[in-house]
Amino acid sequence: MGEEEVKQEEKEEKAKPKEKFKISFDYFNESRLGIFALIIGILVAIFPGLPAFIKAIGMMIVFVWGADSVRKTARYGLGTGVPSIGVLAMGFGIIGGITGIAVASMSFGTLVVGGVEIAFGVLAGVALLALLGFVSGNLANGDKFINMKIPGLERGMTELGIAGTLVVLIETSIITGTYAITSVLPNVINNGVIAVIFIISAFAMLQPLNTCLGADERRGRTLLMSIEIGGIASIILGLVTALTLSAVQGVPLIVLGAVIWVVFYRAYMKACMKEAYAVKGTGLIKTLGG
Amino acid sequence: MLFAWMLIIAFLAFIACMFEDLESDIGSQSNPNSQIQLAPEMGYIHRYFNKAISGEGLSYALSCTISGTIAMLILLQLESVGPKAAILAIPVGAAVGSLVHMVRSSVCHVGREAAHKRFEQPIYLDVLYGHLLPIATHNFLAVICITAIAYIQSNLGILSGVAGASNPFPLPLLCLIWGLTVGAIGSSTGDIHYGTERAFQDKPFGEGRRVVYHGQICRYADCGVRTSKDVAAFCAKFGGPATGLAFGLIVLFENWRTVIGMTLGGVAGPGWNPSLAAAWGIGIGIVIAVVLVILARAIEKWARNKYGPFVGE
Repeated sequence: MGEEEVKQEEKEEKAKPKEKFKISFDYFNESRLGIFALIIGILVAIFPGLPAFIKAIGMMIVFVWGADSVRKTARYGLGTGVPSIGVLAMGFGIIGGITGIAVASMSFGTLVVGGVEIAFGVLAGVALLALLGFVSGNLANGDKFINMKIPGLERGMTELGIAGTLVVLIETSIITGTYAITSVLPNVINNGVIAVIFIISAFAMLQPLNTCLGADERRGRTLLMSIEIGGIASIILGLVTALTLSAVQGVPLIVLGAVIWVVFYRAYMKACMKEAYAVKGTGLIKTLGG
Repeated sequence: MLFAWMLIIAFLAFIACMFEDLESDIGSQSNPNSQIQLAPEMGYIHRYFNKAISGEGLSYALSCTISGTIAMLILLQLESVGPKAAILAIPVGAAVGSLVHMVRSSVCHVGREAAHKRFEQPIYLDVLYGHLLPIATHNFLAVICITAIAYIQSNLGILSGVAGASNPFPLPLLCLIWGLTVGAIGSSTGDIHYGTERAFQDKPFGEGRRVVYHGQICRYADCGVRTSKDVAAFCAKFGGPATGLAFGLIVLFENWRTVIGMTLGGVAGPGWNPSLAAAWGIGIGIVIAVVLVILARAIEKWARNKYGPFVGE
């Protein structure tokens, strides 16, 4: 009994993911990806007048960052609890997004320079959630409080807060084209589109790690899937946008989403099939000891 | 009329949760999935489908919310047709939702099996392709029922003729809540039947899974190697209907006490008294809960007397 347990622990030790960067994302390591996505995300979020499909590209970059943060936070576990981390990120995101939109729709929150709307107010939400994420990470990890001792939890929680907030802000601005609360309330919150924003963004962050989890999980492969879900998110947001704004904004979003989904779904499936132990049409299983 | 719609909702909930449980068994999602995931690491190569989208609650929230959003968009487009537009909107929404669910489960299987490279677990293509269609069809039936429930709830005032009976929440939000609930009930009730009675068949009454046996799932069926599809046929006889019954009863009792409370409070008429309605509703709810607790305790005592205590090591 004792020996068996030791053996199992050894195997779990072995099951820690190994860092190998093969296909892509080798330039964008965790820190570079974070800085890049933060800059792009903030730039896209503060200009609500951009075309919807450019915002969608920004949204996908933030998705990748969020998925990377979930991976950073949750890869020390066995797989249970990964979805909760993604949902936590979007819970942060909804709070931060609403705060940001509220501040941006006040008179001092939005600046108009030469006809271009710059919504600085949304940064208040981002800053608030960065603080909130850092505090909650410290509470969970600190010696005096829960003392979970998960490496990098403070950083992961901060990044999750920022990424979640940026995603909610960008998706809101895709659907309404502005941060004015008079437009956000009927088009996003009262008709329930906030539910689909919540759940699909949570999936873009939580599903990659949860799905690819295992001993031979590879970061490049995991992140491919985040962009693939971004494609599905763009298609659905495009359908909503075609109704709330106009077909001019919605149709390019649907086309972009479809193209991105096909390309990255193919890439992900090919990577998995190539990296698996074997791909068999059919066959019997290997029996123990023989 | 209000009671009739409540019964329809309870019946739809029964069907929805039954198919939800069978669908999760086909893909071995949720709790039993941890053992399917551990099996190759312990050296037991298997031919189960490894559908680790997320917990059942969340993955059903995804497909139901997408279904609800698409249905809402179609209903808004066809507003001039009236309530008949739902005949088109609900099935189309559910089809899109289950399509997304199928795509998500296809990436799960290859992703998790590719991550088992060092344990020599191959990807069997017939397992991958053969399970996608059953997953999509079972999911479609669950999602269409959930979307219909959400539609009935958000339009109950018009459908039953009692003003003020409609749920104030919009359709996608109701779908999110119902999706989470159906997944949670399917996960907590149905997985026991699949996990303990199908994935592990040889253990004494009352014993939990010992750590030594982790990952040691039953990999052979009555005839040949077992796949997840065989599990559905087994669970359809008891586990699925039992799960459906659990969810249907929850919905029935919950709606029943609310409607009786509202009737006693004089449903939005001249004698409408919200605090009286709430008091009656809460009172009946507490009575139902007490009766259920007593029944559960009686069943547990009966089972322990009949099958004996846990023997231990």
